[in-house]
Amino acid sequence: MNLNRTEWVRYGTIGMIGIAVVAPFLSSNLYLLNILTLMLIFIIFSSAWNLLAYSGQGSLGHAAFFGIGAYASTLIAAKSGISPYVTLFLGAAVAAFIGIFIGLTCVRLKEWFLAMVTFGFAIIVQTITVSLLTPITGGWDGIASPRLMSPEIPGYQLIEYYSILVITIGCILFIYYIMKSRIGLAFSAIRENELEARAAGVDPVKYRLLAFALSAYLAGIAGALEIHHIGYITPEIFGVDLSFWPVTYVIFGGLSSCQKGLWLFRTRSRRGGLPGKTNGAEQK
Amino acid sequence: MVDFGILLQIVFWGVYAGCIYILLATGLNLIFGVMKIVNFAHGEFLMIGAYITATIFFITGINPYAIILLSMLALIAIGAVVERLCFRPILGTGKLNEIFLSIGLIYIIQNGAAIIWGDKWQSIKSPYQEISVPVGPLNIPIDYIIIMVVTTAILCGLYLFLKRTRTGREMRATSQNRKGAMLVGINVERIDILSFGIGCAIAAAAGTLWVVSGQVFNPYMGSIPAIKAFAIIILGGLGSIPGAIIGGLLYGIAENGAAYYFGGIWKDAISFIILIIVLVIRPTGLFGESGD
Repeated sequence: MNLNRTEWVRYGTIGMIGIAVVAPFLSSNLYLLNILTLMLIFIIFSSAWNLLAYSGQGSLGHAAFFGIGAYASTLIAAKSGISPYVTLFLGAAVAAFIGIFIGLTCVRLKEWFLAMVTFGFAIIVQTITVSLLTPITGGWDGIASPRLMSPEIPGYQLIEYYSILVITIGCILFIYYIMKSRIGLAFSAIRENELEARAAGVDPVKYRLLAFALSAYLAGIAGALEIHHIGYITPEIFGVDLSFWPVTYVIFGGLSSCQKGLWLFRTRSRRGGLPGKTNGAEQK
Repeated sequence: MVDFGILLQIVFWGVYAGCIYILLATGLNLIFGVMKIVNFAHGEFLMIGAYITATIFFITGINPYAIILLSMLALIAIGAVVERLCFRPILGTGKLNEIFLSIGLIYIIQNGAAIIWGDKWQSIKSPYQEISVPVGPLNIPIDYIIIMVVTTAILCGLYLFLKRTRTGREMRATSQNRKGAMLVGINVERIDILSFGIGCAIAAAAGTLWVVSGQVFNPYMGSIPAIKAFAIIILGGLGSIPGAIIGGLLYGIAENGAAYYFGGIWKDAISFIILIIVLVIRPTGLFGESGD
């Protein structure tokens, strides 16, 4: 077989999705299924971080969006009784809205400055959650979150797994088409050279905010999925670990490969979620 | 409403906490000045320093303030090894690499320490625990006064070292212009190792002072102070040591003020709120000169 790199990546991706579809049947171990589910969620989360990094902004505070999405979705679902499958997109919209606000304070900042400010936002959001918002968030004790599927349904873990798989593939496809579109080109132009990007008619502020909003939205989806999957939420979700994990996963998958082609990038970031995820699940 | 005694107490506690931040931030700033890299894992050296002090103290029982020197010496060696193995290979590559490398180091060092020393909270007792000095309306534990004196001594020592010795001058030259320093025959790689080692040693001193003053410690204690120290040097302007000192005092006092007036949970958030406000108004920090 004589395959070039693009084809390898294409078949690799299809193979990965195939493995993800049949994986639950290889073992009846529910713990493994749980790990697989968390893996999918962290693939979304890492890819969201990756999208922001693609526009040249390395965030160290993505746990803020992860947590805001989770809290917003939980509260909306708990108060209104709407299915978590709907509210997770609403919760993510809240995360995106706050993402734009955070992005506004960051547009002039780069590198470490940006990293520090985003990190600081995660801490500030955590503080507000456990102090001012305690009446609705339950403070440090956290609150119960509606499950994606009611545990009475037989085989509910499997249904959850497949629905999350569909959402994950949807998010990854979304990111892929964003990166391939003019927006993606604008992101990489800003990352490579902001001055030249501006000369070419790309408005850096607009696209940076867009990157923040998109990334926050996807991170919010990941956070809401995780919390609805676990069924309980505490402010620990804003912790340092959740900000650092996507960074390590994406680096493992290959951040530097972003110039080498989007297919490669996308699948690499997909795989990037794999090894660390197990680690994340064990610590839960 | 504002009680003078309480205000004084907040300022005093702030200066005490500020001493730890100042030491961390100064070490970080020294490393940044010379190598132009940022080491987010700096707090892990504080933690190692604290554990070395505690271990020697548990074994020998000598005065923990005397162990500070041993701890600093050990950290010079550890810092040199870390610099040689981890930071030298990525010098001059992308700035994100430093962040990633430091995050890796944080996890490796924390988990390594947890394997060696266990991850329980520990504490050691200072020999002067019972003694306190009345100053005005306050009763100040003598430990805190010793800490302030030691911090001042370390800063003065560093100042003299940088201004008066040949190596110190070479360090300042490297920090001002690396290529120029190379051209006049300074071995910049030696200076890198040395400044990294000294930065780590100062962090070890901070760690020692932290645990000797009766604070509990565990392997994960370093990350938050290190990130705050980094926020301080951004606040004060990258590479500016006076900025680090003023920023450290400001942070110490603001944190204790916030903890008193809004509740302890705001302690961490207030430092980042200050940082964000300063950066929105002045993206280069209070004393910084240029953005990059």
